[in-house]
Amino acid sequence: MIRFAGLRKTYGPLVAVDDLDFEVEPGRVFGFLGRNGAGKTTTIRMMMGLLEPTAGTVTLDGHDIAREPEAAKAITGYLPDRPNLYDKLTSLEYLRFVGGLYGLGTHDAKARGLSLLEEFRLADRAHELIETFSHGMKQRLALAGALIHQPRVLVLDEPIVGLDPQGAVELRRLLGRLAEAGVTIFMSTHSLPVAEELCHRIAIIDRGALVALGTLAELRARAAGSTAGPRDGEPGVAASLERVFLDILEADAA
Amino acid sequence: MTLLAPRLLAARNAYRGHPRRMWVLGVLAGLFWVGSLVLFVKVLGYFQTIGEFGPLLTQRLLLLIFVSFFAVLLISNTVTALTTFYLADDVNVLLAAPVSRRRLHRARFVETLVASSWMVLLFGLPAFLAYGVVYEAGPVFYGATVLVLLPYLVVPTALGVLVTTGLVMVFPARRTRDAMLVGVGLLVPEQLAHPSGLAGLAGFLAGFEATGSPYLPTTWAAEVLVPLLGGRDGDPLFHFAMLVSTAAMLYVVSATVVERVFLTAWSRAQTGRVRDGGGERPLSRWLERLARPLPRIPALLFQKDLTVFLRDASQWSQLLLLFALVGIYVYNFSVLPLEDGSPLGRAMRDIATVLNLGLAAFVSTAIAVRFVYPMVSLEGRAWWILRTAPVALRRVWWSKFWIGYVPLVGFAALLIAGTNGYLAVPPVLTAVFLATLVPLMAALVSLGLGFGAAYPRLDTQNAAQIATGFGAILYMVTSLTLITLVMALEAWPTWRLLRYYRAPEAFGTGEMAGFAAAYAAAFVAMVAAFVVARRVGLRALERLPI
Repeated sequence: MIRFAGLRKTYGPLVAVDDLDFEVEPGRVFGFLGRNGAGKTTTIRMMMGLLEPTAGTVTLDGHDIAREPEAAKAITGYLPDRPNLYDKLTSLEYLRFVGGLYGLGTHDAKARGLSLLEEFRLADRAHELIETFSHGMKQRLALAGALIHQPRVLVLDEPIVGLDPQGAVELRRLLGRLAEAGVTIFMSTHSLPVAEELCHRIAIIDRGALVALGTLAELRARAAGSTAGPRDGEPGVAASLERVFLDILEADAA
Repeated sequence: MTLLAPRLLAARNAYRGHPRRMWVLGVLAGLFWVGSLVLFVKVLGYFQTIGEFGPLLTQRLLLLIFVSFFAVLLISNTVTALTTFYLADDVNVLLAAPVSRRRLHRARFVETLVASSWMVLLFGLPAFLAYGVVYEAGPVFYGATVLVLLPYLVVPTALGVLVTTGLVMVFPARRTRDAMLVGVGLLVPEQLAHPSGLAGLAGFLAGFEATGSPYLPTTWAAEVLVPLLGGRDGDPLFHFAMLVSTAAMLYVVSATVVERVFLTAWSRAQTGRVRDGGGERPLSRWLERLARPLPRIPALLFQKDLTVFLRDASQWSQLLLLFALVGIYVYNFSVLPLEDGSPLGRAMRDIATVLNLGLAAFVSTAIAVRFVYPMVSLEGRAWWILRTAPVALRRVWWSKFWIGYVPLVGFAALLIAGTNGYLAVPPVLTAVFLATLVPLMAALVSLGLGFGAAYPRLDTQNAAQIATGFGAILYMVTSLTLITLVMALEAWPTWRLLRYYRAPEAFGTGEMAGFAAAYAAAFVAMVAAFVVARRVGLRALERLPI
């Protein structure tokens, strides 16, 4: 469903993303992990056509984002790391606008917008200007916007940041439901428990390059092979993703 | 100094990031400065030649400069203080840090003073310098000018801080700012540079008292300098002492008030505008109805852009400016002595006719720089929404183009038709002007979008601020060059047509060919400007940072 082929981004001598080559299968939740500045957001921006790659391609459901940007974007929903929205619109006006951009008719966009506002606990603020919203509310509204056209691919950049505990739990449930319904989810996150709970496959990047890719079990096995074994539990107890993540990055740096 | 460091470092980094841009701005400011100096020297020199009224007029002018700058400074400081003291994001950081309120006040006071006063200084210094040059004043005058300016600038800053703090204690800060932006839109410092600001000068000079009220700091400032120019006796030291002591007293009062009430005022300032319930806003429904005949994407962008525009108070103040500009322009035509039948009246009418197209285009550019140029920047950090939507950039460009073009061309056409009516211009010539406006306004809007995308200001949502940036200056210069070119190409055919209608005389074949060539060259220039600006604009949109 999502395919990265030789994706690379350089800024002069700085290599931000280095030759990414992997695929994400349909209906899967894919976790994209890495330290701050590892190249996650740069990769996602190239994936969404917000940034031109130095080399390589990204295809979304068979559509190359560089050659057929409109077809690729039409099936994709995107949540950026910072939910900057139009402050002078109300939340319902925003959802109707975004719905319209993705081809929904006026009435459909309104009906779908109202139902999403209900789902994201924003129904009572439907006619308030977005400038009065808290960060977490803007985050929920931006996510509602990403879902308004019922995308087949959902790209989320740090979706948990800014959400209250209730919001985070609801988001995890929502992502689970969407994946069950066949939506492919590509998610960068620092929240390892979320990745552990939701992701079918995980990629770890460091300094722009892919250092690990696989299911959680595969990553555990790999971490165990590269270190003296699981260190954060009793012998025989599986290591947490946090431990696996740190071990892989340490092994890569060594 | 520590608290001012972030601002100073940011300014230094801005310079390092764009050294060439700073040089261009510096050269433009220098040219403006020298031009103003020459103009002031000429005006003051002229005043000196008109006998006994001369000194009186120059004294009036000096007082007028101090009074009008003071009014602008007072308003500008009040608006700036609201941002620096109560709306800036970093106040949170300073409040959490072990920084006393007194230090916070000092740092923000200096910041407010500099931010509000630099533009006034830029425009004001050539005037003071011109006084020194014309009156051949000694170094004491120049030294005194510097010494006077400092307390003179402190007084409106202190008053501005006090007024703002009082307002914030009563109203939430955002509402205060919105109200102030609307109320003072015409008076912010950058408006000083506008030629329309000079319209009332003559009348003001004629009626203005030579000596102001003895209780005002503006009078004290003028009274320090006038005697030093040798015009008449006075007591400069006394007035200087009055000015300094008042400035010091007001500074201490503002520091004490801010120290006492800052936390309360800051807490109140955090209140946004939340409506008390209610359903869908009527604006959405009206715009939806208005946009119904348009295709889907243009209709959506039209509704979104207009909603944002109409809810943005900084844009309303721009609308007020637009009305003032048009009013002054039309008024100037209405008072031209055209109907007296004299050769002078006829000549003025013909000159005004030839210039009218260019002048109307110039007024339209002044409007475009405030409404069209900021369009891209106003997308702000929300630009990702359009960039990740399945909408081609060229469609976004065209939507923005039409939103800017239709009102602008309509406005320019009304302006031309109206003023040509005053000038009794033959209808054929008015038709030629209107036909020129169609491609000319298209080129101006395309240039506005192009420069707006190439020099985006995504960090501010204040359209008035966006319209004063580097790209806006380049846009104005480029537009004026294009307008001058078109006007120069069309001047001769216009002049000739005008003469034909005043006293019919057949055109020669060569003359007709010349007309065709002139209009064709003007058309090509406008189309070329449109096409190049569109290409540059689209490329810049693609690279717009998100």
